Amino acid sequence: MTNPSMPVTKDKPKPKMKRNKIKNDQSFGEKAFLTFTYLIIVVFSAVCVIPFWIVLADSFASEASFLKNGYQLLPSEWSLDAYIYLLQGSQLLTSYKNSLIVAIVGTLLAVAITAMFAYVIAHPRVKYRNVLAFLTYLAMVLGGGLVGFYIMIANWLHLKDSIWALILPYLMNPFYAFILVAFYKSLPYEINEAATIDGAGDIKLFFKIILPISTPVIATVSLFYAILYWNDWYLSLLFIDDHNLHPLQLMIRQLISNLNVAAYVGGGASYQVSAPSNSIQLATVCLTIGPIVLLYPFLQKYFVKGITIGAVKG
Amino acid sequence: MGFIKEIMKNRQLYTLAIPGIVFLALFSYIPMFGHLIAFERFQPVKGIWGSEWVGLDNFKFFFGSQDWLRVTFNTVYLNALFLIFGIGIALLLAILINEATSTLLKKISQSLIFLPYFISWLVVSLMIMAFMSTDGLLNQWLGQLGISEVNWYQNAKLWPIILTLVYVWKFSGYYSVIFMAAIVGISNEYYESARIDGATRLQQILHITIPSIRSVIVVLLLLGVGRIFFGDFGMIYGIIGDNSILFPTTDVIDTYSFRALRQLGNFGMSSAVVLYQSIMGIAAILIFNKIAKKIDPESRLF
Repeated sequence: MTNPSMPVTKDKPKPKMKRNKIKNDQSFGEKAFLTFTYLIIVVFSAVCVIPFWIVLADSFASEASFLKNGYQLLPSEWSLDAYIYLLQGSQLLTSYKNSLIVAIVGTLLAVAITAMFAYVIAHPRVKYRNVLAFLTYLAMVLGGGLVGFYIMIANWLHLKDSIWALILPYLMNPFYAFILVAFYKSLPYEINEAATIDGAGDIKLFFKIILPISTPVIATVSLFYAILYWNDWYLSLLFIDDHNLHPLQLMIRQLISNLNVAAYVGGGASYQVSAPSNSIQLATVCLTIGPIVLLYPFLQKYFVKGITIGAVKG
Repeated sequence: MGFIKEIMKNRQLYTLAIPGIVFLALFSYIPMFGHLIAFERFQPVKGIWGSEWVGLDNFKFFFGSQDWLRVTFNTVYLNALFLIFGIGIALLLAILINEATSTLLKKISQSLIFLPYFISWLVVSLMIMAFMSTDGLLNQWLGQLGISEVNWYQNAKLWPIILTLVYVWKFSGYYSVIFMAAIVGISNEYYESARIDGATRLQQILHITIPSIRSVIVVLLLLGVGRIFFGDFGMIYGIIGDNSILFPTTDVIDTYSFRALRQLGNFGMSSAVVLYQSIMGIAAILIFNKIAKKIDPESRLF
C-alpha cells in the first residue's frame, strides 16, 4: 500500500522546498499554526527527557541533600557516594554480568531460531506455511496462560533459579518473526531457484545466501531482542530467588522494595558509612539504561525501520 | 499420505523450522494444559493428572467475590484509556512533527519522543517516584505555588489519569513512528493541488493526511481492542507493585492472577482467572474482527 507512492516523495524533493517558500508569505493563521506546532513539539520533547535528566542528576546527589530537599532538578550537594558504594559491593557486577549473559546469549539464539522459522513461513514451496503462520499468530494472541507457563518452567523443565529461565521463554517472539516473514516475502523467488539448480540444499542456501543478504533486518530484530532481554524483569520475578542470578532489572526492584540495602549491594563487603539508599537506586538505573541511551542515537534508525516493516505488513 | 510426502519433499526447510516449532509447543501450546488446573484443587506434588477435580469451585470462588468485576472493569477501562489517548496523541504528534519545517527540530524531537520506549517499567516507576513521592518534585512545585501537598500514592482515584499520562509518555514515540511512516507515503500531489485550491494547513490535515492513513489507525485500534482484556503486567505491577491502597482502580486481571499464584499459591484460582481472561480475549478478537470486516475490509486481522 505504501510502496507504490513512496518513490513519488523520494523523487521529488523540489515541491517540498517550494512548500517552505510559500509558507514564508503565508497569512497570520498559518504562522499561528506553525508556532503552535513548534510549541507542542518542544514541550512534549522536554517532558520526555526531563525524567532521564532527574535520574542522572540525582544519582549524584548526596544523601544529606536527599534527606533535606528530596528529589531535585539540580541536587544542592553533589557526591559520588552512590557509585562508589555500588562499585565496592559485588551485587552490581554480578547483576551486570547476568544481564549481559542473558542479553547476548538470548539475542543470538533468538535471532537464529526466529530467522529460520520465519524463512520457512515465508517460503512459497512450503505447503503448510499458513498452518505454521496461524499457529504462531494464535500463540501470540493466546499465550499459554500464566499457570501452565509457570508449571512448565518451574516444575517440568526444573529451571527455577537457572539463568535459562530468563532466556528460553523469549526465544521466539511472534511479532519479530512476522517482521522477518515480511522481509523474506519481499525477496525475489529467483534466488531460491538459482541456488536449487546449483544443487545447494535449502539449509545451505539459507545460511550461505539468504542470511547474508538479510543483515539489515536481522540487525533490527537483534536490537529488539536485546532490548527485550535487557529490560525484562517478569521472568526473573517469577523464577529467580537466588540473588547471585539477579539481573539488573531485578536488582533495581530489590533496591526499590529496600530490604537491607547494605547487605544486598555489598554481598559481604563491609562499609564504614550507611548506604545512600535513594541515590543508589538512581545510580543503578543510570548504569542500567546507560548502554541503551548511549547507543540509542546510532541505533535509532534500525528500530524505526523494524517498526515500519512490522506495521505495514501486519 | 500427502502430509508425509510434503514433509519429505521439503525436509530441509521443515528442519529449519523445528526449533521454532519446539519453542511454540513448549511455551505456548503444552502450557495450555495448565487451563485444566482451573477445574482442580491443584497440588504441585500430585501434578495436573493426580490432583483432585473440583468442577467449577475455583470459578465460583472468583465470581463469588466482587474482585472479578473490579479487575475486569479496571483492565478494560485502563486499556481503553491507553488506546484512545495513546493513539490519539501519537497521531497528533506525528502530524505536527510532519508539518514542522525545520529538519533539525524534526529529527531531535523524533529521537527524544521515541526514547522512553526503550526503558523498562521498573525504571519508569522510579521516575514516577521522583515526581510523586511525598518529597517528590510535584509536591515541591505545589508547595511553591502555595497549594497543599497531595499524597499521590494513597489516592486511588488519581491513578487512571496518572497511568494514562505515563502510557502516553512511553508509547507516543513508538506509535508516531508508525504514523509518520504512513504519512511519508502520501503522495505530495494531493497537497499541491489542495494548496492551489487555497486549502489551509488544517484543512489539508483533516481532509488529506488523516483520511489517507485511516487504515493504519484502524489496524492499531483493532490490535489494541483485541488485547483489551489483557492488562500490561509489567507496567501495572512495576508501577503499583503491592500497594493495595491503589488496587481499587489499578488492579487488573494480570496482576490479580499473578498475586493469586505467587503470593497466595492458589494455582486453581489463578488458573480459573487466566482461563476466563483467554475466553474473553478470544471473544473480543472474533467480535472486533467482524466489525473490522464491515467498516474496512482491508484492515481485518484474518
